[in-house]
Amino acid sequence: MIVTPQESAISTATKIETKNLEIFYGKFHAIKNANLAVGENSVMALIGPSGCGKSTFLRALNRMHDLTPGARVEGQVLLDGTNIYASGIDPVTVRHRIGMVFQRPNPFPKTIFENVVYGPKIHGLHNRKKLLEICERSLRGAALWDEVKDRLDRSALDLSGGQQQRLCIARCLAVDPEVILMDEPASALDPIATSKIEDLIDELKKLYTVVIVTHSMQQAARISDFTAFFLMGELIETAPTKSIFTTPRDKRTEDYITGRYG
Amino acid sequence: MATLEMSAGGVAKATSPSALQRKISQTLLRALTGVAALFSFAIIFIMLFFLLVYAYPAIRFNGWGFFTSPIWNIGNQYGSGVATRNGFSGAPGAEFGALVFIFGSVLSALLTMLVSVPLALMVGLALVYRIPRQLRPIANALVELMAGIPSVVYGLWGLVVLVPWISNALAPWVTSHLGFIPFLGGPTGSGTGLIASVFILSLMVIPIMVATTRDVILAQSNAIFEASMALGSTSWQAMTRAVLPSVRSGIVASIMLAFGRAIGETMAVLMVCGSAINAFPSNIFSPVNTIAAVIVSQLESALTDATGMAQRSLAELACTLFIITLLINVIARAMMRGADRREGRGHA
Ligand SMILES: Nc1ncnc2c1ncn2[C@@H]1O[C@H](COP(=O)(O)OP(=O)(O)O)[C@@H](O)[C@H]1O
Ligand SMILES: [Mg+2]
Repeated sequence: MIVTPQESAISTATKIETKNLEIFYGKFHAIKNANLAVGENSVMALIGPSGCGKSTFLRALNRMHDLTPGARVEGQVLLDGTNIYASGIDPVTVRHRIGMVFQRPNPFPKTIFENVVYGPKIHGLHNRKKLLEICERSLRGAALWDEVKDRLDRSALDLSGGQQQRLCIARCLAVDPEVILMDEPASALDPIATSKIEDLIDELKKLYTVVIVTHSMQQAARISDFTAFFLMGELIETAPTKSIFTTPRDKRTEDYITGRYG
Repeated sequence: MATLEMSAGGVAKATSPSALQRKISQTLLRALTGVAALFSFAIIFIMLFFLLVYAYPAIRFNGWGFFTSPIWNIGNQYGSGVATRNGFSGAPGAEFGALVFIFGSVLSALLTMLVSVPLALMVGLALVYRIPRQLRPIANALVELMAGIPSVVYGLWGLVVLVPWISNALAPWVTSHLGFIPFLGGPTGSGTGLIASVFILSLMVIPIMVATTRDVILAQSNAIFEASMALGSTSWQAMTRAVLPSVRSGIVASIMLAFGRAIGETMAVLMVCGSAINAFPSNIFSPVNTIAAVIVSQLESALTDATGMAQRSLAELACTLFIITLLINVIARAMMRGADRREGRGHA
């Protein structure tokens, strides 16, 4: 976690990018021709009214739709320039590189330690000393270490909602992903827990590329470098966060940020 | 519309309970659930108590030999006089040893679980994650149907289809190709016996476990599965390392239920087990006998025992089965609670 501000500021290369992305649930066309590029070590916020397709878009980025019966994805998602939907690409490897944090904290009913090292164990690491190292590093990375270091062998379900969500982030960090997708990670949390998660995201972007769905424009303004606005399955506008809230280019974006869609 | 609203308001006001009312109803509810729990315990103990009282002469007459002797012999019914031990009398030469039946019950139930638990878990997982959506209603109906077939039907099917197949095809093949493995070689008999019992029992308990496995997984949200997949697991890993452990208490409960059914099953086993008396199985094809089956098959001859000791010994058998089942349940619960405490799960 020792990265100087200068270092984090120089990254401009595109990390993950969608090209002509179309997503269907059966006949329902949920995402229409979305083109979005996310720079390395930046935070991209996805905003838009409920039901506009933010989660649907996000889940296409790590092939979670493979698990949804009836869902179909067309177009390309490029990770470092390689299409993750190309034939011959293993979705398991993709998800190894692109982690995901869900809307509701979903820790496994296991101990805190077992939650964090679940991914490394799945990938074949069983050396207890190494696992402990990873566990500490990941929990520190998720700003949870100090709160749980004395009770790693207690159940994750004993933690508060905010702690559970940070545990899920730690669990995600433990597999050492390059991109982290977050779907309204703070929407089920109280304001204090929310601000902890927001601080954390600011730290995370030094090492990772973050794409986060949020229903709160204030949150997007606080934490993101770029913001993408979705409306009814369409990606309307993408811009640096500062400018999208002050000088939106599209009328529909302006209507949304001035509160005309509720 | 207006009247509806008014009456709704009226009801709300009428049922809005005062603190006292709430307290009373809570206390009442707690008392009722307490009584219900006590009641079910009481029933178990009353049943066991009366069985034990009835079996008491046999318990004294048989002593520890009941658990250590493999010989079951109701004695000479036509001779004169009686044999008396510890103040209780049976027919001359009578000896009631249950070891063969206890061993047969436990062995066939354990082997059944060994076969059916992995299979049932796989099928349960497949029903949730693998079988195409369109086929699921059919597959589910099939499981429900299999769980509902009476055991005597399984037994009859076993007798007319399975047993001949074992004796004509399976046993000759196994003994000639795999006979060098312990318990797979040697005499094969008529097809009735251990393997037939295990096969039939598995058919009977698998649907029960499949249905529960499926239901406990479906009752849980998809979040655990997705969490694992998002960490780069294969779906097999997600099922076995995340989903199954998270529904473990439900699955253990269904395994217990299935074990109880397997060890207590009477009719179907009676029809295919070969009714061994005074002999232990020497391989998987040997005739066996179980406590439940022997109670039925020995009942008629026991009723002819003028001393009544044979009947009372059957009751002692019933007590034994009862206690074995109870013990298994207690042990399983204790194990589960230990695991839950270690992982801080709520208790089921
Ligand atoms: N599994 C699904 N099957 C069918 N329709 C879905 C499914 N998931 C989402 N949808 C539909 O797709 C649209 C976008 O949903 P979603 O991406 O969840 O929106 P958001 O996250 O922006 O609130 C909604 O109309 C929703 O009803
Ligand atoms: Mg959503």
